[in-house]
This record gives sequence, C-alpha cells and structure tokens, in this order.
Amino acid sequence: MSDNNFQSIRETFITNAKAKLAGSVNEDILIIQALATVDDLTLSLNNVSTRLREWAAYTVPELEHSVSNHESFARFLVGKTYDEIQAEFVKGESMGAKLSDEDYTALISFAIKVTEMYDLRSSLIDYLDSLMDKYMPNVLAIAGTTISARLLSSAGSLKRLATVPASTLQLYGAEKALFRHLRSGARSPKYGHIFSHPLIQHTNRSIGGKVARALADKLAICAKLDYFKGEFLADKYLEDLETKFEVNL
Amino acid sequence: MQPVMKFPNVFSEKKGRYINYFTKTDDGRSFFDEKIVKLNGQKYRSVNPERSKLFAGIAKGISQIGFRDDSVVLYLGASHGYTVSFLSDMVKNGQIYAMDFAPRVIRDLIFLCEAKTNIAPFMADAKQPSTYKSLLPSSGVDVVFMDIAQKNQVEIFTKNCDTFLKKGGFGLLALKARSVDVTKKPKIIFKEVRSDLEKKYVVVDYRELAPFEEDHALFVIKKR
Repeated sequence: MSDNNFQSIRETFITNAKAKLAGSVNEDILIIQALATVDDLTLSLNNVSTRLREWAAYTVPELEHSVSNHESFARFLVGKTYDEIQAEFVKGESMGAKLSDEDYTALISFAIKVTEMYDLRSSLIDYLDSLMDKYMPNVLAIAGTTISARLLSSAGSLKRLATVPASTLQLYGAEKALFRHLRSGARSPKYGHIFSHPLIQHTNRSIGGKVARALADKLAICAKLDYFKGEFLADKYLEDLETKFEVNL
Repeated sequence: MQPVMKFPNVFSEKKGRYINYFTKTDDGRSFFDEKIVKLNGQKYRSVNPERSKLFAGIAKGISQIGFRDDSVVLYLGASHGYTVSFLSDMVKNGQIYAMDFAPRVIRDLIFLCEAKTNIAPFMADAKQPSTYKSLLPSSGVDVVFMDIAQKNQVEIFTKNCDTFLKKGGFGLLALKARSVDVTKKPKIIFKEVRSDLEKKYVVVDYRELAPFEEDHALFVIKKR
C-alpha cells in the first residue's frame, strides 16, 4: 500500500470516527453528566457554605448560631439587611463586630453567589427529574430521582441496566464491599445504592437483605419495561412491595 | 542519550539510579505535557513508563517487541493515545490503526491523530473482529498490540491475531490479572495465560510490569 493511499484512508477514518462520536450522545450521557454535576455541586456547596458561616459569624454570630441549615443561612444573609438581622435574632447586646459598608458588601456578594449555586443545584435536579421521567418512568417511580440516576450511572446505560440480573442491580454502589467479599471471604454486601430507598429505611434491618432482593427484582423488571418502551406498571409493583413488607410509604 | 537496541527511535538516558526513556520526534510537539529534550538539533519526547505498559515492558528489559521503522500496527485499546503517540514516533514510516470502544476517549485520540499523520483512528468492538475486518489492509498487519482490561482478553487477543496478523508477525498483549480474576493470584494467571498462548504461538518474551503497573504483564508472541 502506498503512503498516499494510507493518507486518504486515514482521512476517511477520522471523518467516520468524528461522525460516530457526534452520534453517540444520548439520554444516558446527559443523565449521568447531570447527576455528576449535582454531586459535585453538593460537595462544593458544603465547602463554600462552611466558609460563608465562618466569615459571617464575625459580624452576625447570633444568626449563625440559630440557623443551622446552610441554605437558609445564606438566604437570610442575602434577603435581609444587617439591621433587620440584628433586630430579629439579637436579644440585648450583640457580640458581633459592626463591619464597614465595604467589608459587609464583600461578604454579601459571596453569599449571593452561594445562594445562586443552591438555585443552580435545585434547577439541575428538576432537569434531571424531567429527563428521567421521559426516559425511564418506571424505574424513577419506584426508586426516586437520586437512586435511579445512580443506578444508571453505575450501569453506564439503560441498555445495560435492563440486561444485568437483578442481583447485580442490587449491589451497584457496593463494589468495594463486594470485591472485598470475593477477595478475602468477608461477608457479602446486601445493598448498594438502593440502601437509601425508603422501603429499606422503613423496614426492620433484620430483613434488610430480603427487602433489598425484592426491591432489586422489581427494579430489574422496571428497567426492562423502560428500555423496551413498555407500559407504566411501577405503581402496581410498588404497591406489591408495600403490602408484602407492611410498609406505608 | 543513546539508542536502545532493537527498538526504533527509542533512546535512553541514565540519571542516577533511574533510566529515562525518550522517543525521537520530528515536530517536537508535546501532547500530554511531557518534557521535550533538545540535543544536537534533535528533539526527544520523554516517556513515563508508569503511564505506558509498552514502555514499562521496555524499562523492565523486554528483549523484543517486534516494531520496525515501517511496521503496520493494529492497536486495540488506544484510549487517550498516550502510548500511541510514542508508537507513532517509533514507527515513523509505518501505519498505525488505533482502535477503541469508548466514545469518551476517542475524542482525545482524534485530536492526536490530526497532528500525527501515521495514525488512523476508528471505533469498534475488539470482541468482534469481523465488524472491522474490511477497514484494515487485506494483507494483514505486522504487529497487533492489545491493551484492553477485559475478563476474556486472552481469547479476544487470539481472535484478533488469527484474523489480522501476518505470518511471522508479532503480537503484544498487556494483561491485567485483576480483570481476568480478582480472586486468583496474578502469578498463577500469568502462568496459565503463558501456557495457553504457547499452544498456538511462540512466546518470545514475557515481563511482569511491577513496579510500574501492579499485577500486569506484557506478553510478546510470534505467529508461526
């Protein structure tokens, strides 16, 4: 084969690969990326919120002490003026320092950005919800937004989620414990991502393995329904589970 | 700086207890933030053997890897293209068909291929050689390099070698023992794989890649 020939082959290879790449974006990727962004935002929000608290506590320590929720703390700082906050939270003398206008503005502009990040996160969760409602309604109805998205992210695609056995689905998210079990013979894990499901949370932990197995079975059926565009049966399955384990969700 | 025997365009330089490896490059472009060394008007790209299983094998003293200056190479599992970029320097007048399955890494690979004129990227599944058989030269390739972490990667490797490798061509298999079976000891897996390969091919050399890659080994085979 001549070198010239190879160059033309190479050009077509690159063009084909580019076309294939552009065609490979689907809902799976969008959901996985949105979930990863929500997770990253949660981490960063925890970081910046703690910083905001530390900073603001020098001037409004009473507010910092009485509002324990990070998000509402940031919203208080942004929504109310310094005097309003003082009037509402301080009994008697304040132990905070009165900052100059310039210093206080710097603090508030940081707080504004933090509240905007909270807004961004909640809008992303809404987006994730609407995306999954169209793409995997059955799984979403049983497992809820976060667990469904995590299961999808572990599997990599809805196709794979629909083809893996229920026992695999049950242990997604417990890979560390599973491989420890395989390697060294430690006790096997009973649940992965589905641990935070209300069904498992609200039943006695002594039957946890049984509940997890039943839940994973129904989820596997739902994943198949979603992948092959079947009808919506999730509420029936959820009812079955509730009556079986006598839980009222 | 001195050439390494048998390996085209590979150079080494001893620095204290360590040996640094380089490939001779024409354009002197750095693709993965690697160091470029200029010496007597020639440019050399520095390789990190911890990122490339091929160079880990070279650093561990493998005797033969089968590449010539003008080899036609089929590279399965090209990933972001780190090893491929150095291979491109080594087989300067040859051709590399770089394949990967995952869209995410092909994206990085394409940018590399646009700069290096002897790499042709494509997206396919190594488990099914018949799907990309028509894309590759009908006369076969000189070297098959495989670096994919799969449970049945030895089977995939033999399948590809049987389909594409010329008579007397070389096959390189970077084996990850942990993806074959986590419960077995890597040494036992390497032994089994070696005897498996010996049934079909001549096993030219084999190196375990520790400390560069834990629980990995590089096998070099030659087709009879």
